[in-house]
Amino acid sequence: MKNKGLYLLLLPGVLFLAVFLVIPIALTIASTFYNEGSFTVQGYVTFLSDPYYLKILWTTLRVSLVTTFVCILLGFPVAYYISRLTVRKKGILLALAVFPLLTSSVVRSFSWMVILGKKGLLNSSLQWLGLIEKPLEILYTPTAMMIGMIHLFLPLIIITLVGVMENIDPDLLKAAESLGASRFTAFRKVIFPLSMPGLIVGSILVFVGSLTAYTTPALLGGKQGVLSTFLYQNAVTLNDWHMASVIATIMIVVTFVVIGLMNKVATKLNPKG
Amino acid sequence: MALLALENVSVAYDNQYILQNFNLNIEKGQLVSLLGPSGCGKTTTLRLIAGFLEAKEGRFLFDGKDYTRVPVNKRNFGFVFQSYALFPHLSVFDNVAFGLRLRKVSEAEVKKRVMEMLEVVNLTGFEKRFPKELSGGQRQRVAIARALVIKPDLLLFDEPLSNLDANLRVNMRVEIRRIQQELGITTVYVSHDQEECFSISDRVAIMNKGVIEQLDEPAVIFKYPKTEFVARFIGFTNFITFDERSEHDGKILLRIGDVVFQAGKNPGTLQSNGKKCALRPDDVRVTTEAAEKQENLLPGKVKVSTFLGRSYQYVVETKLGDFTVNQEMESPYRNGENVYLHFPQDKMVLVD
Amino acid sequence: MQEKNPGLALFTFLVFVFLLGPLVIITFTSFEPGTVLRFPPDGFSLRWYENIFKVKMFLKTFGTSIFVSLAGNLFALLLGIPAAYALSRFSFKGKSLLNAIFISPVLIPGIVMGFAMLKYVLVTYDLPIYAGLLIGHTVIMLPFIIRVVASSLSNFDFAIEEAALSLGAGRIATFFKIVLPNIRSGIIAAILIAFLESFNNVDISVFMTGPGVSTFPIQLLTYVENNFDPTIAAISVLLMIITILFMFGIERLMGLSYFTKR
Repeated sequence: MKNKGLYLLLLPGVLFLAVFLVIPIALTIASTFYNEGSFTVQGYVTFLSDPYYLKILWTTLRVSLVTTFVCILLGFPVAYYISRLTVRKKGILLALAVFPLLTSSVVRSFSWMVILGKKGLLNSSLQWLGLIEKPLEILYTPTAMMIGMIHLFLPLIIITLVGVMENIDPDLLKAAESLGASRFTAFRKVIFPLSMPGLIVGSILVFVGSLTAYTTPALLGGKQGVLSTFLYQNAVTLNDWHMASVIATIMIVVTFVVIGLMNKVATKLNPKG
Repeated sequence: MALLALENVSVAYDNQYILQNFNLNIEKGQLVSLLGPSGCGKTTTLRLIAGFLEAKEGRFLFDGKDYTRVPVNKRNFGFVFQSYALFPHLSVFDNVAFGLRLRKVSEAEVKKRVMEMLEVVNLTGFEKRFPKELSGGQRQRVAIARALVIKPDLLLFDEPLSNLDANLRVNMRVEIRRIQQELGITTVYVSHDQEECFSISDRVAIMNKGVIEQLDEPAVIFKYPKTEFVARFIGFTNFITFDERSEHDGKILLRIGDVVFQAGKNPGTLQSNGKKCALRPDDVRVTTEAAEKQENLLPGKVKVSTFLGRSYQYVVETKLGDFTVNQEMESPYRNGENVYLHFPQDKMVLVD
Repeated sequence: MQEKNPGLALFTFLVFVFLLGPLVIITFTSFEPGTVLRFPPDGFSLRWYENIFKVKMFLKTFGTSIFVSLAGNLFALLLGIPAAYALSRFSFKGKSLLNAIFISPVLIPGIVMGFAMLKYVLVTYDLPIYAGLLIGHTVIMLPFIIRVVASSLSNFDFAIEEAALSLGAGRIATFFKIVLPNIRSGIIAAILIAFLESFNNVDISVFMTGPGVSTFPIQLLTYVENNFDPTIAAISVLLMIITILFMFGIERLMGLSYFTKR
């Protein structure tokens, strides 16, 4: 009696996802290995040997790595600061950090178009200050993408890290100090290692997110392709579905490999406490 | 005939048996407690009776009918939970009325019975309150009212008082007993608190590892525990396992090594064919001089003495092992002092 | 008391300027009376707000987005609440696998999901675009619904279910009378969070467009790629106001600590 009801509760959801998500993705991946009826890996060979495609792959990786790195650099100190505030102030700052997360990525990327354009705020200010003569071409470059993505993902890192740091027993810091550690040493030897798992989780989210983001590169990247815009191009503009599927598969594989690796690192770090 | 009977019941969880070939009979109108340490199976038994668990083997008979496969919501048993399990989104009134409304009782009748029951548990005036506004004791009483108002055939309590503080527990258990006796409702009560069970029950079942070690009136268990487990559970700390047992001159003789003890024939000694003897610390006597021709004397040395208030407690070392003795005295024996332990023959209990 | 660290405070301030500054800037540019996006704006005008309502496609796609996000939300609730209940209440074989399946839409890159659905749901299964949109958005919202509802249920004292059963209630009556009312705020919060995620979604919606069918963010995207006037800024401001309202709603029900819990 119990078991029958249980599966009835789960079945619709699982079935729905299976039919409309799992199977399409599985078939997409499978389709990359068949071209006109026979087994082939030509799609991957083409992709990995053509310098044009490789450049896109490299740009994507480069942008994601820089974004992740900068997000950690900026986000960690901010999260630390916030985690030590009183409840009220902490709430306000967290709300301010969450707000951008919930606004449309179109709005957020658009705001950077206004700032980074040839006639945008940044250039106008720099020219007005006399620091430059000709406007800088930042928009439609990987740099613009990086700025846009950092803006996109920074709140995510901050919130993840604040959550982790809040769970660190405040008495641990006091214990370290009572044993003679300076503020900085206590931070380095207690807070930092304990935030590691959260830091890793946050980094995965940012890295994978920036690897696969579409809106920001589409608006800020211009002709500089990344995997996601390239996928769209192949699927919709060029109508090359085979190549699109290849790109999609590569994206899935990279995503899962990164998540898997990070999980391994996280579990290895965990037993150390 | 017993109102409730569990026949050769087995309950397993993940292929581990918690109850195996378990039997229990309960007479109508009685309050029976299931008492034992955690893990002994008492809660499992209770939940089996309620219908939250299914038996792998065996039968559950109630009022002559086979209830083994009857679903929970058809059994009409009142269940009082350890966490009270009040519906947080309903008022006290609606909580108590819940079961009645399911039985399609008219609203007027519902109102009458709920208010009556609230009076029984001394909660008149609390109808509109919500569970989160109530104290632990008040919540407990709502839980009891809710279970009683449906006029259940059986009342089941799962450690109802463990979340209350000490003096409240004592008052509440008296209340529960009072209500139970007034209504004459058959009740099964689970607790790990010995005093609680003994004070309010008609019968107590002492359980250990899925087995009932003894099922008797509290007074009987208190005086004559049947097994070593039960004896230890209720406070018999001194045990001697003899080598030989025989009878002579209307007395039971127990021998270990060159020591021979005599025990009188009474329910406590006749209940078992075993050779293990148990005594309470209060029953063993300690003296510095051995009276002449006194039976069951054992010389020893005081190891530790502690002050209990009413009496002093000694741990005395003897050639048969250490014994714990409580005795009222003005000035205590000192550590290392040589004493004699006397084991009164009518206080010895033989256990399995 | 913790010693104040002025350096860290300044650093945090600057980071927040970075985070919120651009949004403040476009708020100001939305009032620009001229046709070029300029900061600071030349004057104050609401003409671009008016313009929003003059462009028919905006209103139409807004309506589409609202409908799709609401309908998808409903489907996600119908599929997700029972699943969340089953996952929280019982332990059974294959539970972690099922958990993984239900979480998967969050892990799989959106753009990949969108393409796979285009390829199979629209083409191979041959379903109309609108259906594809509904399905796609249900898939997006399902993990959010499940996660939030499961989180509500993790603090749930299931003993009250047993209490209801012992008093004579059937399983279904128990679910509707006892379980649902007590996770009500969790469900509403789930609806709000999922709705926002769905409404703002670009990755999947971008593949599910066709003649006359598009969602609001996609329409915005197209507009930005072709026009560069303050209308977008005005729309952005309106969207941000809506977001703030949603945030208030979520804060009321679950507290913003929801976002920091993992």
